[in-house]
Amino acid sequence: MTEATAPTTPRADGEGVSLAALPLWGRFAAIIVAGVLLSLVWDGATRWPEAWTLPLAQWITDFINWLKSEATVFGVEFKAITRGIGTALEMPVDWAEYLLYRGFKKVGLDLGPLPWIAVAAGVTIFAHWVGGWRLALLCGLSMLYLATFNVWKDAMRTMTIVVVAVPMAAFIGIALGIWVTRSKTAARIISPMFDLMQATPHMAYLAPVAALFAFGPVTALIATVVFAMPPMARCTILGLQTVSSDVVEAGQMSGCTKRQLLWKVALPSSKRTLMLGLNQVVMQTLAMVVIASIAGATGLGHKLLYSLQQLRLGVAIEQGIAISLIAIVLDRLTQAYAYKETDHFASEKTWAQRHKHMLLFLVILVGSYVLAEFHRWASIPPSKFVWGAGDAKVVLFDAKLLARHMDQAIRDFNVVAFDYINPIRDWVTLWILIPVRNFFLWLPWPVFFGVVSLAAWRLGGKSVMLLCMALMASFIVTGFWVETMKTTYLVLIAAALCVLIGVPLGIWAARSERAAKIIMPICDTLQTFPSFIYLIPAIMLFRIGDFANIFAIIPYATVPAIRYTYLGLKRIPAVTVEAGIANGATRMQRLFKVELPVALPEIMLGLNQTIMMALAMTAITALIGSTDLGQEVVRSISTQDFGRGILAGFFIAALGIIADRLIGSWAAERKRQLGVA
Amino acid sequence: MKNLLKGVAVAALMLAPGAAMAEVESDEPIIIVQNNWTSQLVLSYVVGKVLEDMGYTVEYAPSDSQLQFQAMADNDMDFQVEAWEGSMKSAFEKAVENGMVDVGTHSAETREEWWIPNYVLETCPEATNWEGLNACAEQFSTAETKPNGRFVGPPADWGKNYADRVKSLEMDFEAINVGQAATLWAELQSAYDRKEPIVLFNWTPNFIESKFEGTFVDFPKPEPACFDDASWGPNPNATGDCGAPHSGWLKKAASPRFEEEWPGAYAVIEKVDFSNAQIAAAALMVDVDGMEPEEAAEAWMEKNADVVASWTE
Amino acid sequence: MPGDVQIRCRNLWKVFGADPRGFMRRHDGRPTAQALRDEGYIGAVQDVSFDVHQGEILIIMGLSGSGKSTLIRCITRLNDPTTGEMEYEGRDLLKLSERELIDIRRHRFGMVFQNFGLLPHRDVLENVAFPLEVQGIARAERVDRAKKMIDLVGLGGRESYFPRELSGGQQQRVGIARSLAVEPDIWFLDEPFSALDPLIRAEMQDEFLRLQSMLHKTIVFITHDFEEATKLADRIGIMKDGRMVQLATPEELVLNPADDYVAEFAKNAPRERIVSVGAIMQTPTDAALGAVPMTAKIGSVAEQVLTADGPVAVTDASGERIVGSIDRATVTAAIFGGRGPEARAA
Repeated sequence: MTEATAPTTPRADGEGVSLAALPLWGRFAAIIVAGVLLSLVWDGATRWPEAWTLPLAQWITDFINWLKSEATVFGVEFKAITRGIGTALEMPVDWAEYLLYRGFKKVGLDLGPLPWIAVAAGVTIFAHWVGGWRLALLCGLSMLYLATFNVWKDAMRTMTIVVVAVPMAAFIGIALGIWVTRSKTAARIISPMFDLMQATPHMAYLAPVAALFAFGPVTALIATVVFAMPPMARCTILGLQTVSSDVVEAGQMSGCTKRQLLWKVALPSSKRTLMLGLNQVVMQTLAMVVIASIAGATGLGHKLLYSLQQLRLGVAIEQGIAISLIAIVLDRLTQAYAYKETDHFASEKTWAQRHKHMLLFLVILVGSYVLAEFHRWASIPPSKFVWGAGDAKVVLFDAKLLARHMDQAIRDFNVVAFDYINPIRDWVTLWILIPVRNFFLWLPWPVFFGVVSLAAWRLGGKSVMLLCMALMASFIVTGFWVETMKTTYLVLIAAALCVLIGVPLGIWAARSERAAKIIMPICDTLQTFPSFIYLIPAIMLFRIGDFANIFAIIPYATVPAIRYTYLGLKRIPAVTVEAGIANGATRMQRLFKVELPVALPEIMLGLNQTIMMALAMTAITALIGSTDLGQEVVRSISTQDFGRGILAGFFIAALGIIADRLIGSWAAERKRQLGVA
Repeated sequence: MKNLLKGVAVAALMLAPGAAMAEVESDEPIIIVQNNWTSQLVLSYVVGKVLEDMGYTVEYAPSDSQLQFQAMADNDMDFQVEAWEGSMKSAFEKAVENGMVDVGTHSAETREEWWIPNYVLETCPEATNWEGLNACAEQFSTAETKPNGRFVGPPADWGKNYADRVKSLEMDFEAINVGQAATLWAELQSAYDRKEPIVLFNWTPNFIESKFEGTFVDFPKPEPACFDDASWGPNPNATGDCGAPHSGWLKKAASPRFEEEWPGAYAVIEKVDFSNAQIAAAALMVDVDGMEPEEAAEAWMEKNADVVASWTE
Repeated sequence: MPGDVQIRCRNLWKVFGADPRGFMRRHDGRPTAQALRDEGYIGAVQDVSFDVHQGEILIIMGLSGSGKSTLIRCITRLNDPTTGEMEYEGRDLLKLSERELIDIRRHRFGMVFQNFGLLPHRDVLENVAFPLEVQGIARAERVDRAKKMIDLVGLGGRESYFPRELSGGQQQRVGIARSLAVEPDIWFLDEPFSALDPLIRAEMQDEFLRLQSMLHKTIVFITHDFEEATKLADRIGIMKDGRMVQLATPEELVLNPADDYVAEFAKNAPRERIVSVGAIMQTPTDAALGAVPMTAKIGSVAEQVLTADGPVAVTDASGERIVGSIDRATVTAAIFGGRGPEARAA
């Protein structure tokens, strides 16, 4: 690059760079040397002295215990208030339950739940209405899967939370989004909170919410709403801020009041962005609802955990696929709805023609209720599909049998593969993982603190540096240094591996349409597949240990590395690439000298996302067995040590925010230099 | 909707659901706690079905094995059929202080201890007691623990510190804690399929005994002195140089409101009693025969009709 | 020709920066270009005064960044001016309450935007009916009125189309129909045809003139295209760096540009369509043949004059009285302006 840009005085240019760099490297070196020296004379530089440790975790735990036992607001017990909220929230959950799987007996109606045939047909018909035959086929087959693989009732249990949480999260998100666009104070307070909320692992929400609200589905609901709401708010803000000024002015000149301007002009004009937000809410809700099973949500997540606990991997995989399918169906449906074209000739058609989807559904609904009166299998799908009766019975399909075969296959594979894989695992563990971990555990905190601060200052200026310093100080002075470093080590290694795997895959996908057609759907599936399914095979193959942890992180966290590389390369302007070709670059030269440098900022943002996901996964891999922040989060759920759990969750978020600010600042600067900002 | 149904469906379909129900004190649902191991699930359904047959409304709520007790003390959940001495003692006792009701002990006895699959005895015949096991510690080693053996321990939050016991008994082992029970079984399954020596934490009754053949490793029988008096036990300089009790209790627990709200049901849960064999049989139906816990509960009740009848007399 | 003054602007300033009002106060309301530069303020509109008369087409012309769009947004109060006075039919526009402003926009003002500003989620009919809807007019009536407007702009039959399904020209017709739906007194058009292809642009300009010949609105029209301005305008105000350099009829601009900047625009103007015979005629002479009216643009009489053997007589608008004469050289000079052979020779 330098040769190309400065052909006349390459020497002088080169010297300039090294001169500018020297003092910086010198400063880094100075910090490192000073930190290490300090650690030699003062133990406190290796481990923050216990006497100076801020007992913040204990304070938080005490505070929450006080809240739930003694606190009163205007003479009303705080606990009574949260209980009241919980009871109020139970109502919509109850009705969703009646509708989806319980039936209405409890409210005195002799009416069963929606028969599965009606639900499956309803989803398929809706899919046809919004997205045509292809989508209808996808949704229809997915519904059939849920019916035949013995997961229907649990899928409906999961959907109960989804159908209540999604509208709530969307509504709150839109309201907060509107507020942020209207009030600068709100923007200052709420925007950083969203950053924090999204970077905090799902599980950290569970313990405190479970402590304050009644145990059970309501806890899952609240935790889900809290987790799924920020993307909606962000999309609302984005949508409202990007409505074209002409449209807003046209609204003003049409004589809109402020309210009309919002409801009739700005919000509807940003429908696509809002639908994107809704789509994200749906995906996050589903992700959370599975994890919330740890704290009392019934449904697929609960069953999945149970299957894993029983080592019934085949069943777990079937249940995991069910969760993925639900996610994919909801994802495609919301997207198709956002892009649905309107029928111009609606007015020329008869009422029945215009409402044919609705009519068909109503017919099937009534028909299936009648059928369900005669046959139980029409209400809830049977666990086995059997034809005939008595001795002539033929089992058409048995999901359990299939699951058992899968179990056996996984175990057989494990026996065969273990001998090959284990030496690799041992070598990597002994020669890479343990040394790196020991390095991070040895690292005196002043070195880490100083190096990150200096890097933050260089990349993002004073404000980024101050933020990073505050975040780092928070885990140093509260006595979480060791756990944080273990997480840092795990995440850095996992992220490095994700980049090594993901970037080449992204390049391949960008180069070959056919590869992209295979890789991209796999990415979609990996992200919706419940992450803890990977855990058990990882343990069976690699035993407990960091290798298994890292292996379990990779499938999930590699996805952004692939995606961003792919998008970064695809978004390079055609002329840039053509210029490279015209200059006679070979394929490899084009890739390394033209495409990758231009796409680098985008790829780095992918790295950023990869780190975020790896951080989120540490709370899940804690189930394998680790001693890092993730473990603290998980453990706090059962030990009721809310302070440690919340803080550990916060520090995971803090690591994410530090990485985000450093990489984000770098990428923004680089994009500016490349003129592609 | 209902009218339409009546019009379309034949009147014969409108059979009343089941026989007339007995009068019960309250329609409020009794919330039975469910954990994530098999026997507990099946037994919960057994008790739940018995109560339902009496006319009570029953709901099931999944819960964490530690959180559940406080939730019961708070009247959020009403009944737990399996509370284990080994892993839940402190949470249980704390919740009892806060109002939870101890509804008595099952006949079944529980044990939690180091455990080995039987094939280990082929290469380390003395492994049924701790000294014999320690003699072939290296067989159990992995890359990270070499030359020490590796003991796969329970989740760290289960309140047992095996690293301390290893130290007290001066064993050549390193305790590695898993994050959750499933991890233990994954390790076991993997080793079992390859006939690799492994020693791990296990307890009875659970489904493992129906799937894997193995034995508990004997440690010095615990006495109070083991924990107070360093001179007691194999190591004269350390406390805690002994194993876990060979028989721990298995209790039932109920919410404070239970007895007042549903006295009839309370009388039943007081009588509910399971033996080791009954529990293992219930777990077997699910873990080996592949039934759903709910189906298994029905099958169990059919087989043990007399037992069930004795509760409701 | 000028009717009553409808909009009156005096000393309008629109300054962007940290504290525009304080800045204006510090400089007694008349900051110099130097002061603006030194303190990092941008004077988008600087000391602009003009009147808009009943029934005229006033075109504000300027290159991008000249402040013309800011100016029209000040008048419509989409942006409030920093200082200055604005009156609409004698009412102080800057002292209107929120309610009154909305009322004026609902009934008196109509505006067309460069990028159309159509609501993407509404079809053509709903877009056109939108201003009526926000006023709270009943559905039947607003549909009726909107349909009339759609027919007026020639989009009948496409009522149920969505903006994204229409071409740029069609979208702007929707924008025009919407702005006219409330039958406004004053019609603001902000570069309405700039986003369109040249051919479509010419077509839309004709369409605009056709509508105006029927509706006789008072119009404030923004453009950066001098040719468009001269084609449509009764008067043109030329803006440069926030200031109104000259405000005059197209003819005056061409014949008497106020400065080099205006002259530069005028140089390339189609004079034959701008300059009227009356503006360049000489004293009557007896030798004159035939007759052309003094109000005719020279382009329309050029053939007659250039092929005549001598000077041609010029009559007044009524065609009855001879008021002057015109000959070949005058016409040639006028058409080619500074570009003709005579000019070069001189």
